[in-house]
Amino acid sequence: MTKPVEVVTSSEGEVFDIELEVNILKENQRLAQENKQKLESKKILAIDVMGSVGSGKTSLVKAMIQRLKSKFRIAVIEGDVTTTIDSDLIASEGVPTIQVNTGKECHLDANLIRKALNRMPLDQLDLIFIENVGNLICPAEFPLGSEKRLVVISVTEGPYMVMKHPMMFLDADVVAINKVDLARAMEVDPKKLMTDIAKLNSKAIAVSTSCKTGAGVGDVIEALALRAS
Amino acid sequence: MHEFTMTSWIVEALFDLVRKEDAKQVLEVHLRIGKLRALSTDQVRFCYGVLSKGTVLEGSELIIEESAGKIRCGNCGYQGEFNPEGDAYHFGLPPLICPMCSSSLLIEGGDECVITRVRMQLPSTAPESTALS
Repeated sequence: MTKPVEVVTSSEGEVFDIELEVNILKENQRLAQENKQKLESKKILAIDVMGSVGSGKTSLVKAMIQRLKSKFRIAVIEGDVTTTIDSDLIASEGVPTIQVNTGKECHLDANLIRKALNRMPLDQLDLIFIENVGNLICPAEFPLGSEKRLVVISVTEGPYMVMKHPMMFLDADVVAINKVDLARAMEVDPKKLMTDIAKLNSKAIAVSTSCKTGAGVGDVIEALALRAS
Repeated sequence: MHEFTMTSWIVEALFDLVRKEDAKQVLEVHLRIGKLRALSTDQVRFCYGVLSKGTVLEGSELIIEESAGKIRCGNCGYQGEFNPEGDAYHFGLPPLICPMCSSSLLIEGGDECVITRVRMQLPSTAPESTALS
């Protein structure tokens, strides 16, 4: 009486064997492409700001905003694991700021940026800074859809940051070596870091900066081709 | 790195497939992971075990093929394979510098993460079709 059930469950014909090519990274790439198209259609330039924890990403973004806000309509997406400390700092410059808290993740991904863009007044913007979670490793693996990539490191991280994290510099357009006012005290030679960057990515423009003194901030703006037309 | 994130994306893609085919149980999953993807296959297996628990994926066999890393020198045109073995990512990955001219290397392949084959149990077919097999 139980025979029919037995036949059905043991049948070879019921196993479906499928060969396919499901690219797991494609969804993020697709969303990044969507973000890129959306930004292009609105004529907005988006800049990824990536770099080590405490290298001065937020300070550099703030310093650039101070110099650029009279020429461009700027907004900022701030990525962090938690808190709104950075977005509060940026918002004090009077530009629209969205904090994206990743919770458990160490990087932003294209889907989080898609959500953030949906909440922004895109018709009233020219320029968006997307500040990633402080991390020299993971953000390199997850494109977001922005057009330019700025990587920020600082002399206080020691002389080997570039060689130790090559992936982060391969696609960078501009690299800021920040806190150069402390270079002597740290016994770190910014020129040596620049040589390392040139070895890894000869197209990247490396700039020494100090957000404390304001040195080099204008050079970063120029390297990103952000001079008002 | 990102084994948990990547594996949860893999599991989501498998759930999509399961829904599409109306499968009752997944038996076998084949992945191709590039050696330059920076994913530890041991950790992917571990995460897969955790994420598949209590789902149609539970108990399925995960078969991982690693594909070679391909690099090219932007300066002298040197091309070759770059294959950090095993735990090299954790213990001393050589820098991405051309062995011929010391310029920076471009990654041309071996950074993928792909589901290549899935075997799954479909719902019971009609008695006459099972009789045929």
